[in-house]
Amino acid sequence: MPAAVSIQGLTKKYLDVFNKSEITAVDNLEIDVEEGEIFGFLGRNGAGKTTTIKMLLGLIFPTSGTATVLGHPLGDTATKTQTSYLPENPYFYENMTGWDVMDFYAKLFHISEPVRSKRVKECLEDVHLDPKAWQRPLHGYSKGMLQRIGIAQALINDPKLLFLDEPTSGLDPIAHSELREIIVNVGKKGKTVFLSSHQLPDVELVCSRVAIIHQGKLLTTGTINDLTAGEKVEIRAEGKLNGALEKIKSMADIVEVNDTHIRIPSADERNVTDILDIIRSAKATIIAVMPHRRTLEEVFVDTVLKEGGI
Amino acid sequence: MVTLAIAKQTLDDMLRRKVLLILLIVTVGMIAIGPSVSFLSPRESSSILRSLGLAMIMIGGLLITILSSIQVIPTEIERRTIYTVLSKPVQRYEFVLGKFLGGLFTVFVMIAAMGVVFLGVLWYQEKHLAAEMVKGVMLTFFQMMLLGAMAIFFSTFLTPVVNFFVTFAIFIVGNLSSVTESLTNNPNPATKIMANIIHFVLPNFGNFNIQNKLINPTVEISNENVFIMQNIVYALIYSAVLLILAILVFDKREV
Repeated sequence: MPAAVSIQGLTKKYLDVFNKSEITAVDNLEIDVEEGEIFGFLGRNGAGKTTTIKMLLGLIFPTSGTATVLGHPLGDTATKTQTSYLPENPYFYENMTGWDVMDFYAKLFHISEPVRSKRVKECLEDVHLDPKAWQRPLHGYSKGMLQRIGIAQALINDPKLLFLDEPTSGLDPIAHSELREIIVNVGKKGKTVFLSSHQLPDVELVCSRVAIIHQGKLLTTGTINDLTAGEKVEIRAEGKLNGALEKIKSMADIVEVNDTHIRIPSADERNVTDILDIIRSAKATIIAVMPHRRTLEEVFVDTVLKEGGI
Repeated sequence: MVTLAIAKQTLDDMLRRKVLLILLIVTVGMIAIGPSVSFLSPRESSSILRSLGLAMIMIGGLLITILSSIQVIPTEIERRTIYTVLSKPVQRYEFVLGKFLGGLFTVFVMIAAMGVVFLGVLWYQEKHLAAEMVKGVMLTFFQMMLLGAMAIFFSTFLTPVVNFFVTFAIFIVGNLSSVTESLTNNPNPATKIMANIIHFVLPNFGNFNIQNKLINPTVEISNENVFIMQNIVYALIYSAVLLILAILVFDKREV
């Protein structure tokens, strides 16, 4: 499957006029995003996430390196008919009504009537914006309603690829949950989503793969499953182990024995096979072998602190 | 379609800006109180009314043009609305042209409103339609079109505050074309070079002012229609050059 986004050595440096030095916002970034996946792009504030997205959209220009979006080079206007963007804390023309602002964005895609009105209606319905609000000016909208308009305008051209920058930040829990569902539904329609977010539980729920960047550099990338897979395993067994118990205790820090039930809560992954062999040879029954998983937040914190420093 | 959509959005936005509406109301009010200068003789009263009206339209148009044009692109960048526009299949030249046209439509609507009030006041005073005044109002519009194109050009790389002073200063200097022309014959080489640069590079805003002819029937322009057409073509060509320069600068600008 071709890459929806392929970034090769992308670098962005800014000149600090006062200190006569260069600031590297993005440093030799290499990322591939496959078509149809929801890709999480993670990093602390100022890590270079928005700068990367802006380069991919042709809003700013890379100092070096290159990238392709849907197979086309950066800045290609034709590509933009198939992509869309929701910026962080978006600001829209607040004197326009929800309907008018959507109609305006549809015109930018050369969508003519009657298709335009149909698309506007569909998108506003897709994001569950109350129809009573459609004809109200945006300056009367809540933050959640504005984010819905933001997602709706990103859907107006039925894009293949969406760049969403912090789409759920600052929302109340209900709006947050609803918008997360909307993103999941977008992914189910086969669209590629490039999701930059600090909401790690959301990313864990909706993304298939993530990349973590820090100070402009890529620290790690991989599937959520691979990144969150732990090195410890919990083993539960039933039966009399007798002499075998001592052997197991030499291989695991904690072994809980309760009558005929044995629980080894955090066996080292490397010793699991040996422990299981011992249990089997003692004619005990293995009830469960459960790998411990880390949360994405733990992975993020560990990666940034250990590999990237502060 | 894209350029017109951006122009319409800009016009809608401008027509809601309180500062521009206040300027329009004040200018229209000043034109409307013109007939109160009734203690003069009928001949003087008519001249003053025409002079005051055209001057008010120029001053009002000047402020409206500068205030709208210097902000139209920087505001988009500052409020980040530009991200959702330029991330769509919008060429940067379409964005600049749309913003310029939106500002131009705004100036047209406002100068037209002032012109209508001005003609109405003259009709009320003189009991006949002073159709010749339309020429003065029309030339003021083209003068403002040129000024707007200049402000848009500077707005692609200057801050609004700096742009305000630069555009305003160029408008003043550009109105002193007779002075700068005489300085081109100055014996001092440095003065001569400077005067040539100012006179031939900066737009000649002074040529658009035909108030003297309109107010004083004794003043004559040898071929008025040709003179007006020349100025309109001058404004169109100069504005086009400024917009091309604005597009070239904006095309390289990071937003």
